[in-house]
Amino acid sequence: MGKTYDVVVVGSGASGGTLAAHLARQGADVLVLEGGPALNTRTDFNTHALPFEFPNRHIPTMKPGKPGFDSERSRGLGGKTMLWNAVALRFSQRDFKGKTHDGAGEDWPIAYADLAPYYEKIEREVGVCGNLDGLEDLPDGVFLPPVPLKCSDVLVQRGAAKLGVKVIHVRKSTLTRQKGARPACHYCGNCMAGCDVAAKYNSYDVHLRPAARTGKLEMRPNSVVRELTVSSGNRVTGVKYLHRETMAEGEAKGRAVVVSCACVQSVALLLMSRSRLYPDGLANSNGQLGKHFIPHMTGGVQCFLSPLIGTKPVNDEGFLDHAYVPSFMHNRKRDYARSFGVQFNYQNRRTAGWTKMMPGFGEDYKQSIKDRYPAFLVFSPYGEKLPDAATYIDLDWEKHDAYGLPEARRQIVWTGHDMKIFNEMTNWSREILLASKAEILSVAKEPMRNHELGGCRMGDDPRRSVVDAFCRTHDVPNLYVVDGSVFPSASEKNPTHTMMALAARTADHIAERLRKGEI
Amino acid sequence: MADRRETLKILGAIGSTCAFPFATNELYAQHVHDGPGTQAPAGPPRFFGEAQMKLIGCIADRIIPPTDSPGAVDAGVPGYIDFVVSRNETLQGIFTQGLAWMDEEAQRLHGQTFEALDASRQIGILRPLSDAVDAGEESGTAERFFRAIKSLCADGYYTSQAGLITELGYTGNVALAAFPECEIPEH
Repeated sequence: MGKTYDVVVVGSGASGGTLAAHLARQGADVLVLEGGPALNTRTDFNTHALPFEFPNRHIPTMKPGKPGFDSERSRGLGGKTMLWNAVALRFSQRDFKGKTHDGAGEDWPIAYADLAPYYEKIEREVGVCGNLDGLEDLPDGVFLPPVPLKCSDVLVQRGAAKLGVKVIHVRKSTLTRQKGARPACHYCGNCMAGCDVAAKYNSYDVHLRPAARTGKLEMRPNSVVRELTVSSGNRVTGVKYLHRETMAEGEAKGRAVVVSCACVQSVALLLMSRSRLYPDGLANSNGQLGKHFIPHMTGGVQCFLSPLIGTKPVNDEGFLDHAYVPSFMHNRKRDYARSFGVQFNYQNRRTAGWTKMMPGFGEDYKQSIKDRYPAFLVFSPYGEKLPDAATYIDLDWEKHDAYGLPEARRQIVWTGHDMKIFNEMTNWSREILLASKAEILSVAKEPMRNHELGGCRMGDDPRRSVVDAFCRTHDVPNLYVVDGSVFPSASEKNPTHTMMALAARTADHIAERLRKGEI
Repeated sequence: MADRRETLKILGAIGSTCAFPFATNELYAQHVHDGPGTQAPAGPPRFFGEAQMKLIGCIADRIIPPTDSPGAVDAGVPGYIDFVVSRNETLQGIFTQGLAWMDEEAQRLHGQTFEALDASRQIGILRPLSDAVDAGEESGTAERFFRAIKSLCADGYYTSQAGLITELGYTGNVALAAFPECEIPEH
């Protein structure tokens, strides 16, 4: 327990994993703490199970006796990258400067040019497939070949084209060609059930395990961090944690600490780290911690593509969604700020929960389901939420989890402005699908949250933000927060690729400060 | 034009071991598909009595009847319903009341149990419940029951081997060397 690491990283997901590996490669002594257990990607997930193998027809994430991701928090080495869908999109200059463009929300203190080299670094390192589309609002990168579109994607692409809307190949951190020891995707369609061959990026197999071989990176799973400790000289000194199973207390010391527990849990950990210097939570001297919570809002239409009704089912599971509708409203007339994009056709056909929504019963019912099974399609627009005062993260000190820690609480209000985007993206979804000759089964009436972002806002003004442009807290010079919580504005694009680029950039910054003896 | 399907090489299928060309790598050498052992709940019913189970089977086969493919009972749906209901108090109330209602209604209209009725009379009792549920009216005992048993029939049947594989024709969960491009000419 006596060792003082150069950097203690709390969390092993996309952000923590990327950052820790990049630091270790540059010679820093890194300790990664993970609340969940260690696991074996190849053997521990129910990747290829089918529902009828289980009496309740629910496929558990983990194999019997393997602890991990079936609990509320996504716990286990690799964090949510073990179960993500791997969509990897670069943010555009407009995403970083939304306030400048739209007059609403917040600008990032960094520009696209600051992150572009790191996007490229990540793409070369982990392998991202995609097409070069030359879009202003979705910058191209260094891509592996895209996966072919599905029949159903082509139908939607044609329908959307009638309305002047572009459908492109999706971009994902999933290999379409072998890369090093990782094989190309085998298109079993179970990406979000734990990719057992790591063709899909996960931070454990692609970043942490290789970096651990350098001897500079140590992983300590089963360590539920409950507090960050601060010295009277206003420096963070390390973390205190509880063993996931034995509840034994542990401590780790570091010259710098990085919090990368995924948005809400990062905010919660800082809020519960109360001290004499920071009675309202660490790095919260300005009361901004937890505010500006901006999760993505999603809607959704379930439908059947008429040209495919009654056709013979084909195996089009692929790696879930193969296509994407990039945001297209920036240059159109609209009465709201920001935009939306659409992920679609990522349903998996090993379950068919929609069958109970079909009308009637008996032979006709059975036949109508059989006919529609190959035609079923889910269309999910993702919109950007602007920050508002009523949407934030705080702690419920009355409720405690199994470790006696207060529960994080999400307060979410969909404002009139949010609802304008929601209604617009719902209407466009419906129009695009009708133009694609779809028979509509259901339309979401209210937004749902996804991709949690904000809460530790990044900014140049220490009064209005929690971290600076290098993810360092304004309050404590050797404390960093690196994950989606630092996003000042959310874009409509899936955030992980940007988190990883930010993590790589912050790693360079910390390594530089270590070399200069500033930490 | 070359038939693209020729290039679609299936390396392995459910229940087999798929070798990838990385045999020396400790992690990625292969992925193993465990055989799909069907775990239909075995043994006597957990919650329902024998008579209730028969009535559930009778209604389930009206909702998803056997045709040229298996029906709900063939697919073991009553056992699945019993399993789910045994773990859910709300559903226990809905089913106990609903099953009793079905027989009372059959007696009231035709002087016989539901099971003893011919197909058209059984359908005659179910049709108005189904129409009400499709119209979003689910507040009555019978309608609420129909919604519940139809949902469980759909979930149980279409996640069964008979429903998912035989009836719907699910062909995923296999390892492909490449994803086949859409080959339907008019697409």
